[in-house]
Amino acid sequence: MGAMSGQCLCGAVKFKATPKESEMGVCHCAMCQRWAGGVFMAVSCGVSVEIEDETQLGVYQSSDWGERCFCKVCGSTLFWRMRDGTNTAVSAAAFEDSANFAFTSEIFIDEKPSTYEFANVTKQQAGPEVIAAFTAQLEKGAEA
Amino acid sequence: MSEKIGQCLCGAVKFKATPKNAEVGVCHCSICRRQSAGPFFAIDCGDSLVFEDATHVGAFASSDWAERGFCTRCGSTLFWRLKDKSINIVAVDLFDEPGDMVLDHEVFIDEKPGYYSFAEKTKQMTGQEVFEMFADGGEGQA
Repeated sequence: MGAMSGQCLCGAVKFKATPKESEMGVCHCAMCQRWAGGVFMAVSCGVSVEIEDETQLGVYQSSDWGERCFCKVCGSTLFWRMRDGTNTAVSAAAFEDSANFAFTSEIFIDEKPSTYEFANVTKQQAGPEVIAAFTAQLEKGAEA
Repeated sequence: MSEKIGQCLCGAVKFKATPKNAEVGVCHCSICRRQSAGPFFAIDCGDSLVFEDATHVGAFASSDWAERGFCTRCGSTLFWRLKDKSINIVAVDLFDEPGDMVLDHEVFIDEKPGYYSFAEKTKQMTGQEVFEMFADGGEGQA
């Protein structure tokens, strides 16, 4: 995919990013739910995110390895990213044109409240599986 | 429902509120989706929302009559409310123990992108229908 532009609700944070693929995933983890007012719908953009002006970018460290970015003016939920900069999951709705994303995966499905479920057929992973895959990837990275 | 306690992700914002009922609504409008990285899941708490300490409550006016709340420290999406604070629609996932909730209605269904939909059968309203409901039930222009 090519670079796509996006921004927060008020426009104080503008960015360009290149999604790795046109696939969107949903995180149901308790932290994302609390942070995002429900599910966090995001697109993996690797290391491609370029923020035009970081003055109003709020950054909250939510774990040893991850941090959550938002606009300090309007509160828009923007990115979950690795603290080492190796990957950023960008809110699908922050892109100017999100119409062509396909919803293909749901993670932390074991933390999803029973209140709702999506009608879409997706690849689903529980939290422990996600963390195991993620840890393996980190170890592989450390060896390389 | 009884009074419930809730907080943002980092705990800088703590509050008490009494949901009017157990009916969760989802808003698909483009403003909600941009602010909350997807549909906004919330519950009507009327005028019962009280913050323990409002130091870290940010409010962004997204229209002439309404504003959106967030934690200025962690960015958690907190609420949509009328500026006069008579109606507070609070993010349901902020509550420590929401209890048994049902997905009851979806608003601004005409702004929902095609790439997701919910399995539940809900009452669905377009943006126009929501505005008309406010205009009928409220005092003049909402």
